[in-house]
Amino acid sequence: MNNIKQISEEIIRLRLSQIQVNERYKNGEFKIPIHLALGHESLAVAVDRSMGEEDHLFLTHRNIHYNLARLGTLGAEMAEYYLKDSGIANGHLGSMNLSNPAKNIVYSSSILGNNLAVASGYALGNKANKNNGVVFLVTGDGAMEEGSFYESLVFMKSNDLNIIIIVENNSWSLGTKIDERRCEIDLSKLTNSIGIEYFSLNGNNPIDYVQQVRSHRTKSLENNTPVLIEVQLTTLGHWNMKTEEYPAGKFINYHAGPAPEVEIEKYPLISNSNEDPLFVLKQYFSERELMDISSKILKQLESELL
Amino acid sequence: MKYVQFVNSVLKSIIQKENKLILFGQNINAASCLSGLTRGLGNVNNGPTINTQNSENTLVGVGFGLMLNNTSSIFFMKQMDFLLLGIDHLVNTYNIIRQKEPTASFTIFPINVDSGYEGPQSALNNFNDFCSIAGIDGYSFTNRNDTEQILSKYLVLPGFRILSPSQRLLQKDMLELKVLNKHSNLWYFQYEKGSAASIVCFNYSLPYGVTLHEELSRKNIHSSLFSVNSYSEFDYSDIIKDISKTKKLVLIDDSKSRNRVSDKFLNLVYKTCKLDKNIIIDRKYSEDQYFPRHDQLDIDYMAVAEQLSGKKIN
Repeated sequence: MNNIKQISEEIIRLRLSQIQVNERYKNGEFKIPIHLALGHESLAVAVDRSMGEEDHLFLTHRNIHYNLARLGTLGAEMAEYYLKDSGIANGHLGSMNLSNPAKNIVYSSSILGNNLAVASGYALGNKANKNNGVVFLVTGDGAMEEGSFYESLVFMKSNDLNIIIIVENNSWSLGTKIDERRCEIDLSKLTNSIGIEYFSLNGNNPIDYVQQVRSHRTKSLENNTPVLIEVQLTTLGHWNMKTEEYPAGKFINYHAGPAPEVEIEKYPLISNSNEDPLFVLKQYFSERELMDISSKILKQLESELL
Repeated sequence: MKYVQFVNSVLKSIIQKENKLILFGQNINAASCLSGLTRGLGNVNNGPTINTQNSENTLVGVGFGLMLNNTSSIFFMKQMDFLLLGIDHLVNTYNIIRQKEPTASFTIFPINVDSGYEGPQSALNNFNDFCSIAGIDGYSFTNRNDTEQILSKYLVLPGFRILSPSQRLLQKDMLELKVLNKHSNLWYFQYEKGSAASIVCFNYSLPYGVTLHEELSRKNIHSSLFSVNSYSEFDYSDIIKDISKTKKLVLIDDSKSRNRVSDKFLNLVYKTCKLDKNIIIDRKYSEDQYFPRHDQLDIDYMAVAEQLSGKKIN
């Protein structure tokens, strides 16, 4: 079932769950680094809903949205962030390496570009063992700059592996934007040069995202080929920091840690534009309906965390 | 039989018994770039044998990915220094993988480039030091017996390790030695038992130790002979017992590293044994190690015999 109501509930759940984490982060309750993925929720829900039973997921240090989507609840993930035995990984992985094999999240790497090779090996194992699954591999615009990105694409294509490579392009790596750190990389040309099909997604429309990701999954399976989807998105949670040097405030892009200006709201919208998946939901529901959904989910989350 | 031929024959005999092993690396069947080490392995392998691209970093990650998918593999690599490109996976990926109970095996099989003539590349010849970067189990082997035992036990055992032959020995005749004693995990082997001295060899220096033992025997100096094949947990109990009895240690280490397992071993010896004689045969640091030069240790065996006996020998 992929009706818009269920998908929207899921997107809002991911947002509210992250805000619950953020509130505790702001209180200084976590010792580990956590990378929130506010603004990434539509994509995570689309990937979750596109995955078949034999599909597997490989993630990066920013994996909270996918873990939440696959797990379906917040409690065990929150416990993992507190490094408790009751956490998803018994407190052994924390956030940046959090995987959940029971939900087909095989591996998450805190190192840029590291998971491409591991996912390639897993997909090669699928091929050798005649498993039908597709490997979903999430990476980003920072990892694109690593040699392992190119190496792994060549390996995937050379070995006809069923992999969906999802590049979450938020334009930032740590504190620098793409145009501050490097030349433009035209991924469509790069991938096409080695025979990998390229697709792009943007706008956070959840129905469109689910349809597109599913369609590309089918393409990968039918043609035994890697497929790359570049998703333009914004990691929300930035703030303006006022200092003596910048009395009007300096733009601080959100990378990791707490997002100090994100608060618990009745409807937890962060940006009034398509860069916020929750804004996009307004084309399907009235504000009243969205607030009702949000209130219901918030109550569920609070009871989970009791 | 040459060293490389023997290692190849042991690899074949183990690999052909496996059902679903993936072999990957460059030129595996032809083995034209591996001095014959992997010649014909693809013909006896029952699983896929993949000739790969030049992407050592990715290929190390691929092995770990296969492992996560319960698929065993061996990655053959021409030179150990190429493996430096895979350090991220050896440290970061393996530190995640090692938290799980392994059901599959991943072995990396790089040749230690210790002939000396590769110049800068040959400066990295200390296998144990390399493995210690990431706390990896690693085994070197120098003769028929330790090769057979180490490969049989570890080549396809669930889990991860690095097994590394020596390039310097590849075309030499395979040493045939009788094993008197060994560590249960094959961390070290004992080949001779004597009461006049204890010869302990590190890295790939056993052939020097064998020559020294023979020279000493000719002078009626009967020594024990050990070779340390893995740095692992520093359990050297049998060797320490032997040194405690002989009170005379000859340590041979042919590695060029400044961070040697043998130094840690020596520290243990100094703490636990009372020594009458202590002879260290190793490399003195020289800028020569960055140039293409022969890699042989120059050992004056007669001088060692005189030092051990405490008298001039004619």
